[in-house]
This record gives sequence, C-alpha cells and structure tokens, in this order.
Amino acid sequence: MNDADDDLNASAPSEPGEVGLVEPRDFVTTEPFTFDNGQSLPGFTLRYETYGRLNAARDNAVLICHALSGDHHCAGIHSLNDKKPGWWNNLIGPGKAVDTNKFFVLCANVIGGCQGSSGPSSTDPRTSRPYGITFPSVTIRDMVRTQKLWLDSLGVASLYAVIGGSMGGMQVLQWSLEYPAFVKRALAMATTAREGAQAIAFNEVGRQAILQDPEWNHGYYPKSGGPRVGLAIARMMAHITYLSDASMDRKFGRKAVSARRKSAPATPSEDVSELSMEGIDPVAPAATFDVRFEVESYLRYQGQSFINRFDANSYLYITRALDQFDLAATHGSLEKAFAEVQAATLVVGFTSDWLFPPDQNRAIALALLRAGKRVSYAELSTDLGHDSFLLESPQLYDLVRGFLN
Amino acid sequence: MTRPSTIKRSVDMQIIADWVEPGARVLDLGCGRGVLLDYLVQTKQVHAVGVDLDFDKISACVRRGLTAYQGDMMALMRALPENHFDRVICSRTLEELPDPGAIIEQALRIGRTITVGFVNHGYWKNRTAAFFLGRKPRNAVYTTAWFESRPTNPASIADFEDFCALRKLKIARRAHLGGDWKTASSLFPNLLAGYALYDLTR
Repeated sequence: MNDADDDLNASAPSEPGEVGLVEPRDFVTTEPFTFDNGQSLPGFTLRYETYGRLNAARDNAVLICHALSGDHHCAGIHSLNDKKPGWWNNLIGPGKAVDTNKFFVLCANVIGGCQGSSGPSSTDPRTSRPYGITFPSVTIRDMVRTQKLWLDSLGVASLYAVIGGSMGGMQVLQWSLEYPAFVKRALAMATTAREGAQAIAFNEVGRQAILQDPEWNHGYYPKSGGPRVGLAIARMMAHITYLSDASMDRKFGRKAVSARRKSAPATPSEDVSELSMEGIDPVAPAATFDVRFEVESYLRYQGQSFINRFDANSYLYITRALDQFDLAATHGSLEKAFAEVQAATLVVGFTSDWLFPPDQNRAIALALLRAGKRVSYAELSTDLGHDSFLLESPQLYDLVRGFLN
Repeated sequence: MTRPSTIKRSVDMQIIADWVEPGARVLDLGCGRGVLLDYLVQTKQVHAVGVDLDFDKISACVRRGLTAYQGDMMALMRALPENHFDRVICSRTLEELPDPGAIIEQALRIGRTITVGFVNHGYWKNRTAAFFLGRKPRNAVYTTAWFESRPTNPASIADFEDFCALRKLKIARRAHLGGDWKTASSLFPNLLAGYALYDLTR
C-alpha cells in the first residue's frame, strides 16, 4: 500500500563517538586444519580486533568480514599519529550504525592474507622460509571455517549479525549457509553468489601482472622484495574496477598534474626516473610517457602504497578464492545452497557498481525468497561504483541501523 | 500528528486484515513504509514480504523488522514460482500502475488470492469535478494538481467488475466504502462509494 507516514525521526541517535585506540590480537591454534582442497596446516594464526564487549549471554557479537585488500583493522586507530582510522570506521563505533555500545564487534584478517594471519608470506616451520606457493590454496569457505574456530575460542555463542561487502559479502553468505543456527542476521553488500566472467577476467589480468614480473620468481622472494611492479600494476587496474566513470571524472576529469608532481616515478614501482637525454643523444626519444594526468598520478600512488602493505602471493591466493566462489555450482542451485539458511538476510546493491552489479545482488535476494527465507533487498543510488559500500552515506547508515535494531 | 489520510487508511486496513488468514504468506505490492504489513504481522502473524521502488521506503520496512524487496513488482513476481504466496495485496497502488491487468494476472499466478483496493473514480464527487468544473478532481483523495501528480490510471467500480468478468476472475469478496472511506456503502456503489476492496481468485 502507499502511505506517507512520518516515522523518520522515530529515534534520533545521540552524537556518535569513536572507537579510539585499538590493538590487534592473535588467535593461534595448533589444531591441524584441512582446507577445502584437502591440503592441511598443522595450525594457523588469525590476527583480529574487537570493539565493545561480549555480553553475559554471549550473543551480541557482530562479525565484520573484509574485502580482497582489506584487513582486521576496520575501526579505531592504532596510534594517535595514525593518519587514517580502520577501513569501516564511518560505520562502526559508539552510537554509529554498528553500535559498539551495544555490540561486540569483531574482524579478523582472512586466512591466506598478509596482515598477520597465516598466509603465503608466513614462515613455514619446516623450512624457516615463507610458504610462498606451498601454502594450501584458500577458498571463501576456508576463510569462514577458520573464523568459526576463532569465534568458538572466544566463547561467542552466536552471531547477532555478520556484515561484509564485496568479498566480505561472499563470506557473509557462506557463513549463513555453513553455520545456519549460529548466524542470526546476515548483511551482504556489493557482492555476488557467483563470481562472473568479467570479475574473473579482471583478477586474471592482475595475476598475470604479478606472475610475469621476474621478481615473482615462482613465489619465492624475500620478505622485503618480490614482484613490486607486477603487484602495483595489479592494484592500479583493480582500483579502477572499484570506482566508476562518473566518480573518476568528477574527481580527476582531465586535470593535468602540476610540474612539481611530475617528478613522480615513471613506473609504478620505485625505480627508473627519467634520464635526461637532452643535447646528448642525437636519437633522443621524441615522446615521454611520464605522468601527465591527475588520474595517472592517483593510480600510481595507489599502486605504490599497496606494495608497501600487501603480499603478492596473498593477492594471487585471495583473487583465486574469489574466482572459485560459485554457490550455485557448489550446491546445484542457489536455492539449494540457501536451503538451510536461518538468518534474516539483507542484501544491498549499488546502482553504479559494475564489478558486482545490482543484478548479481538481486539474484541473491531472489534465490533466498524462492527458498522461502526472510530476506530484504535494497539498492542505493550512488555514482561511486563498487566502493560505494565503504563511503559515507546517511541513507546506508539508517538502513544498517534499522536492520540491526 | 494524525492526518485525514491516516484515519481513512485504518478502515480499509481493518477490512484487509479481516480477509487475511492467520499465518498466511502475504506479498504487498507497493508496500510503502510497511504500515499495512506491520499491522498484518501484529494482528494476523502473517509472513510478510513487501515490494516497492524507493530505497527509503524499503529502509523503513527493514527498520520495522519486515522483509521488503526494492525493485520492479513485475520483475519480482516473474522471478517467483506459482503459489509462492497465499495472498497478494495491491492496496492504493493499482491506479498508479501501468498495465494493471498484467499485474493482477501475475499476482494470481504467484498467489492464490489477490486483494485489490482502489479509489472509485466513479464516485459522484469525482464525476462532478470533471462534469461541472471541467477540472481534474481535487479533494482529500486527489490532493495534488495535475502538474505535480504522478501518472494515474483511474478506474471505477463498474470498470473493475467489467474487467473481472472479461478475465473470468472470481470475486470472492467485495467491500465498498462511502466518501468518507469509513462507512459501508451498499447502494449504487459506482456512484456513492469512494473506495472499493475486492478479493479475487482464479
């Protein structure tokens, strides 16, 4: 029915605060863990953070699942000198949409990652060298199963909610079908139940950039080294898929970089500054390909900062985990995949997301509906592309708050 | 604040609630902020799903603890199997829909019953506005001028019953309300009823 009642200002939340200083911790288990592909590890580590307190009933836990390049640090700061807070700090905190006054919020770096959890860059106790590509291959389900062991160790009785965007959204779906009684609410954003050909294609270009870099060396490289050029190019390309035509044009347009900033390196990596050939060589180059547009400078910066925090092998592993994700194929159909789900689910798509477009998000909601499950689907109009789920949007905050309360 | 429309809504809401079986699976086409579905969940413990085009309306439904789907109602219905719902409700939405016949047809595929509630364009006050004044009706129901209105496709009770006969749809129940949308109106409904509710089955 059509109506126009005013329940918008039903409960104005008090001024939200900040999580503040936080410290990562490690969950270390020495129980052997067998991955989906049959390989196993004698134990593993997950690095995680928590905000808020677990209540006496141990049922107010809200698990945050991170995306491909994210990590466990989703809110607060590690030191007063930090320039940036955790990646979902706008959503998580006292009085915020995911209210740490009410909820015990947790987030762990995924298995296969490189921010403290066990992954290809971890040291293999057998060789005292990094695992490299001897690390077992990882799936979204492996990420979820390892996190379940971690939550069990903390005494979490059930998840009030599990929330994530992009690859985090895939984990949300996997959580609700893997542990149906454990998950009360599932909130998946900007995601898919089946990685499509376009998304696989982008990941493959990124992997090729890494694999073709001689420094990759079949996965064996020292901690400080490795395929820095390849990884930076992979990141540059992937970053484009997180934005949109409109948002990039608004931010950069055709703006040229100032002369001062032209001193930025010509390649995404740190080496090779332009040599001046002027007046020396009679066959000096007639064209130069140093940075000309703001958008180039931005992408080079993104590539540069990424190689300082991310491991190339982890990038290979996690993109492979994304590409393998296909709940319909794994279970026969999406409806069968969701047959056991008990959680109330909310799926959120974003109109300008062309990596996991609204249709792929809608398909999740429709399959859950067909399976007779409680599911809502909302679609936010934004021109910010795939990364919309991370951006400041009071409309999105209201939706998340409403779903959790 | 209680607006006139809020009072009026309550009577048709009550009629719909009387018609809905307890615990039924219900889809509300054009669910808005979920006022009707919330009422049906409270009074009849229905399993409710709403559909609407607007993000903020879906958000309001979610805040009420309802499940709601943002998108085109035809696309949603086409994606669902036969008899997925016991009842589909189309209340105060019909006159704003393109191709209402196709929507009713789809609703009766995915649901056993459709409840339709609509403003009777044959109501005498709606007629006089056009007849004597030569104007688009403006009153408590049609509150906006033509240039600020959504596209409407008004129907009268006579139009609607003709449609049901043409499509061989069974009218299981009907209720006609007077110009105040409160009191029952039985005499010459096409002239004297301001609002009409129907339960249709295949």
